[in-house]
Amino acid sequence: MNVAQQFANGIIIGHAYALVAVGWTLLLGAARLVNFGHGQMYMMGAFVAWWLMSATGLPYAAAVPLAVLVGALLGALMQRLFLRLTLSQDLVNLMIATLGFGQILQGAAGLAFGAKPERLTSPLQAITLGGARVSCSAQDVLLVGATIVVFLGLHWVLRRSRFGAAVRMVAEDPPLAALYGLRVAPVYLAIFAFEGAAVAFAATLVAPRTPILTSIGFEQVVMTFVVVVLGGIGSVGGSYVAGLLLGLYTAFFSALVSPAYTTASVFALLIVVMVVRPGKLAASGGFAR
Amino acid sequence: MSRFPAARLAGVAALALLGFLLPRLLGGSAHVYDTLTTIAIFSAMSYGLDIILSDLGEISLAHTAFFATGAYAAAILVVNYGESAWVGLAGAVIAALALALVLGLITLRTREFAFSLVTYAAAVVCMNIAANWDFLGGSDGIVGIPPLALTLGRFSFVAGRPAQFWPVAYLLLLFVLYVVARFRRSRLGQAALMVHMNPRLAAMCGLDANQVRLHVFLVSAPISALAGWLYAFQRAYVGTDLFDTYFLVLMLTGVILAGRRLLLGPLFGTALLLGQKNFASLGAYGDALVLGTVLVGVLCLCPRGLASLWRRRAIPGPEAPSLPGGPVSG
Repeated sequence: MNVAQQFANGIIIGHAYALVAVGWTLLLGAARLVNFGHGQMYMMGAFVAWWLMSATGLPYAAAVPLAVLVGALLGALMQRLFLRLTLSQDLVNLMIATLGFGQILQGAAGLAFGAKPERLTSPLQAITLGGARVSCSAQDVLLVGATIVVFLGLHWVLRRSRFGAAVRMVAEDPPLAALYGLRVAPVYLAIFAFEGAAVAFAATLVAPRTPILTSIGFEQVVMTFVVVVLGGIGSVGGSYVAGLLLGLYTAFFSALVSPAYTTASVFALLIVVMVVRPGKLAASGGFAR
Repeated sequence: MSRFPAARLAGVAALALLGFLLPRLLGGSAHVYDTLTTIAIFSAMSYGLDIILSDLGEISLAHTAFFATGAYAAAILVVNYGESAWVGLAGAVIAALALALVLGLITLRTREFAFSLVTYAAAVVCMNIAANWDFLGGSDGIVGIPPLALTLGRFSFVAGRPAQFWPVAYLLLLFVLYVVARFRRSRLGQAALMVHMNPRLAAMCGLDANQVRLHVFLVSAPISALAGWLYAFQRAYVGTDLFDTYFLVLMLTGVILAGRRLLLGPLFGTALLLGQKNFASLGAYGDALVLGTVLVGVLCLCPRGLASLWRRRAIPGPEAPSLPGGPVSG
């Protein structure tokens, strides 16, 4: 086994996990919402970019921002649908509603894009960097760089800006924030739109690595969930570190043991963490740190 | 009605008989029998989730795995080992109990979304294992399940055609309804409700919440597995598509559509959804779209289910205490 190459793979996959999870981390921390439609939103982002490129002939660089825009609109639509449930913090029903939302996206994507596997092609995927021992594509470098920028940007907004303070206040106590005179609904709208935009952005950067199918959402969401839980629920910095560690773990597990059982082994890892540190699963405290 | 147990019993018996004759009343075509059999199987599957969702107040997303466990156990025992359908039935129940015990112990200390996330991940892992382990047929699944043959002493029964499946599916549904009704009136059912509605009171009454949760989990899993057992014979094939989110969303929507903690609610909800799928299908993707829309629509417009609309009109008067999300779902 080429250890250095697996290490590089792990870092790349880890950044992919972290970037896919970042929207959900914020959503969970700020709105206490578990989005089971997250995987389908990822799928949608990848397919919208693919469709824009194959149907209209747009270049990859133009398809990415448009797919992000569609993702943000999807997030906003979701917020409009679920506003009442979010404000009343009806968490059980919210969770089921997000599953239904994912089902709608999957059905709509099947009708619109068909059942065949497709390939989202990025021109950067063909450019190989590095030497004989360790190599990666320019797309991977872009992915890692973009992830770092998104996490630093989110950290700055949450800790340093007035808007970030509003988000933290809504996360802490929505009724109190409203009493203070803060308009809560636009803050939720922004959080949901960020979730949609972030996962679509992640999809456009990550999806060129593998073929895409309209059914990929079901499995996709599991890694995100593990990142969010291992990182400490709602913790932005934590999910970056967790994504990175999980990427290294899966890279070495697939190389040393078996790629087919990677998801199962990650699940086992999650259970070990839950047994050793059960407090990690309680949603409290760690938001925006 | 409870003051006249005989009258009540006669009423239930008449309703049960009417239900049995329903396919014949609807024309008796193979398509009608097939649809009603599928409704019976999938509503039995939904009842497994129903007692977790309605009574324990948690969302288990692993019930597709229990359903699939029942189907796989039956298929493996009957096809690979040549055992009878009864052995398949026992295998389905035992396998589901074993899986529920493991999952129940893992999720014992998790609540709310953590519970849902872990059960969701468990379902994905089960699908992964089924797709990769040759013992479970791998990605090809297990084909060639023979017609359902049940032998009881000298009496033997073979179900190959849709019309022959109906009595078995209907009996299964009645049995599941009986179990759920008994569960709701049992000590465990009452304890589950108390743990859900008022955990502190439950603790003060000396109830061990974790133990109650585990026991309810163990009651619920075999119910979905029984449905899976029959579904394997009806379809003559099991594969990883049993884990599809479509089944999961179907179960959830079936439970929520009519209203929680209504005995016939999941049956009614499943019948509506499968009626659309079988008589007015829009193709697999269109049906998924309809299913998701129905689920989101119900939750956004009347989160307590369609029955709550009817009740609100039937009993005008002071509003029910409006806890956030309603007393059942909070």
